[in-house]
Amino acid sequence: MEDQRKIIHIDADSFYASVETRENPALAGKPIAVGGRPDRRGVIATANYEARKFGVHSAMASSRAMALCPTLLILPPRFELYRAVSGQFHDIFREYTELIEPLSLDEAYLDVSGSDCMQGSATLIAGEIRRRVREELGLTVSAGIAPNKFLAKVASDWNKPDGMFTIAPGQVAEFVLELPVSKINGVGRVTADKLRRMGVETCGDLQQLPLEKLVERFGKYGRRLHDVARGVDKRRVQTSRVRKSISVERTYARDIDAMPAMVAAVDELLLELAGRFGRIADRYFPTKRVVKIKYQDFTQTTLEEAIGASGEPWNDAASFHRLVTTAWPRGAKPVRLLGAGLRLQPRSAEDLDQLSLFEQA
Amino acid sequence: MKFSISRDALLKPLNLVAGVVERRQTLPILANVLMVLDGERLSLTGTDLEVELVGRVQLAASGDSGEVTVPARKLVDICKSLPEGSDIDFSVQDGKVTVKSGRSRFTLSTLPAREFPNVEDSMGTHQFTLKQGELKRLIDRTGFAMAQQDVRYYLNGMLWELSGKQLRVVATDGHRLALCTLPHKVDVNGDTQVILPRKGVLELSRLLLEEDAEIAVVIGSNHIRATTNDFTFTSKLVDGKFPDYQRVLPRSPDKSVFGSRLELRQAFTRTAILSNEKYRGVRLKLTDNSLDIVANNPEQEEAEETVPVEYRGDSLEIGFNVSYLLDVLGVLSGEKVKLSLSDPNSSALLEESDEGDSLYVVMPMRL
Repeated sequence: MEDQRKIIHIDADSFYASVETRENPALAGKPIAVGGRPDRRGVIATANYEARKFGVHSAMASSRAMALCPTLLILPPRFELYRAVSGQFHDIFREYTELIEPLSLDEAYLDVSGSDCMQGSATLIAGEIRRRVREELGLTVSAGIAPNKFLAKVASDWNKPDGMFTIAPGQVAEFVLELPVSKINGVGRVTADKLRRMGVETCGDLQQLPLEKLVERFGKYGRRLHDVARGVDKRRVQTSRVRKSISVERTYARDIDAMPAMVAAVDELLLELAGRFGRIADRYFPTKRVVKIKYQDFTQTTLEEAIGASGEPWNDAASFHRLVTTAWPRGAKPVRLLGAGLRLQPRSAEDLDQLSLFEQA
Repeated sequence: MKFSISRDALLKPLNLVAGVVERRQTLPILANVLMVLDGERLSLTGTDLEVELVGRVQLAASGDSGEVTVPARKLVDICKSLPEGSDIDFSVQDGKVTVKSGRSRFTLSTLPAREFPNVEDSMGTHQFTLKQGELKRLIDRTGFAMAQQDVRYYLNGMLWELSGKQLRVVATDGHRLALCTLPHKVDVNGDTQVILPRKGVLELSRLLLEEDAEIAVVIGSNHIRATTNDFTFTSKLVDGKFPDYQRVLPRSPDKSVFGSRLELRQAFTRTAILSNEKYRGVRLKLTDNSLDIVANNPEQEEAEETVPVEYRGDSLEIGFNVSYLLDVLGVLSGEKVKLSLSDPNSSALLEESDEGDSLYVVMPMRL
């Protein structure tokens, strides 16, 4: 069997909020969130577990969050601080492996197949990483250990927060049988609903569907469903690749068919994009803004524009609003998915030879 | 609304105001300029919601007061293409503006003035007055060092600092920093630090045409406003913390080099031709009374210049982005320039040798 790799998925617990609490211990035990201001149509980026008890979750409008939890303290995001902490995570990871694939500031895959640390035990390495993050950085992370990325990610969520879970190669077949399909990364509410109508609740059910049927129903994604239902995921841990673009997108439970809702949705995406791009901003220049619209009937359109030289920020909300207002009428149908992104140009290594005035994280 | 105005009286403020109007806007009305006539006082307003500019003109004769918004770009193009010295008649009827001049007649669409957005104003906390020429110098001497598109958004602008009645502006993109201080104190109540956004700085600088005329500046918590006889400029401020620039000023550089500004500028301009087009690195070799400047490009071509300088001390080799040095030499004046260095990894300080009002810090490149 090919899948004898040892993959760890590390996921920090309510990362931005935890960092804020660490910086200001007086916040401990109180419901807090990091995000945009409710009076400016902000959205929640991260809520701590105290806030989640009230039903507050990320990507929720801040005004809604305040309604659910009137004592909620919403702090403005400090991405530079989070980036710095994320860098400290990576310093720890690197002591165990060089094969690190960051997914965001607070999430990464580590391939420790070749590691001699802790007698080569991925579970022990994950435990050690969790202990060190707690002791050295004062934060908690959850870890999932499995033979591939898909299962590692499922596992890190298993005992979250501040927990870990191992799926050993010999347990994979049994583990996936009862695994709800909603745990599959990429299966959102829409796909889950479709699968439910086909009588599929678990990966075990999913295994019963022939590949042809899945491909017919879900296209390319059908093949992936067929694989992951069996606990198979051959994707490598990719340390660094040259990105040509970065984007975030979201499929909406209910199609969007009014401009104000569209604009609010774009604002939410931008907040997320800022977090994602922020992590790689020292390595890439944004050259273009892109929006993607997928209509109700699955037709789609994208529109992009060059970022001007007059100093307008890449994440200028007005520019993204304009793109989406221009692009939407092309289809003039309700929208099921919106994406916002940037075309990138790598800053070259030689750029780094230019020394900086201000030390950077 | 109805009035007459000479093309030339209208064109200057109209051009300035239309400059603020973005070519691509979110709201259709932001493509328009707001015209308000009150007797013989005509005001024109353009905004992009971040920066607002109001230009004022006195008419020769009073017209019928009123207000309307018209497409800015088209109005500018029409006025520009009318012959110099011509007169223009404006009138509004049934939601259209008619612009007549000689045998030309244009009918433009309008949008209601009440829909024109105001840049929300905040209470002024600090105010002071200075000469337009003085403010222009502060901006011209530092503006080039502002960042563009930096994720550290607070660098995409210019710091204005009032401290002990002294006005100082600072701009930096993280690799180099420019600082200029108004030589005399201003009459102001208290200290503050604000960051003007890049666009606001560029627009404001275009307005400063009358060197000896005054400009009154009011700083509020979220906005800055500058007023002259002819215009009122309002800009949002950048909400962020500017880096502590004092900390990056070289403390005690041990190598002071004096050279001819012109000779150095020409030598750098020539060597730049064979530097790497993208990274623009040049190597400086400093020895007693001589500065060698060497550039190489990926094609293995080489440029070398030797410039006589006043210097005695240890020799030093240090690399710089030649564009950064040229930017500084381009805004400095005076015959000589003083370059202070310490080691290949520490910043260089450039200034006019005769106690100038400006300081420039440039970080080296590793070569």
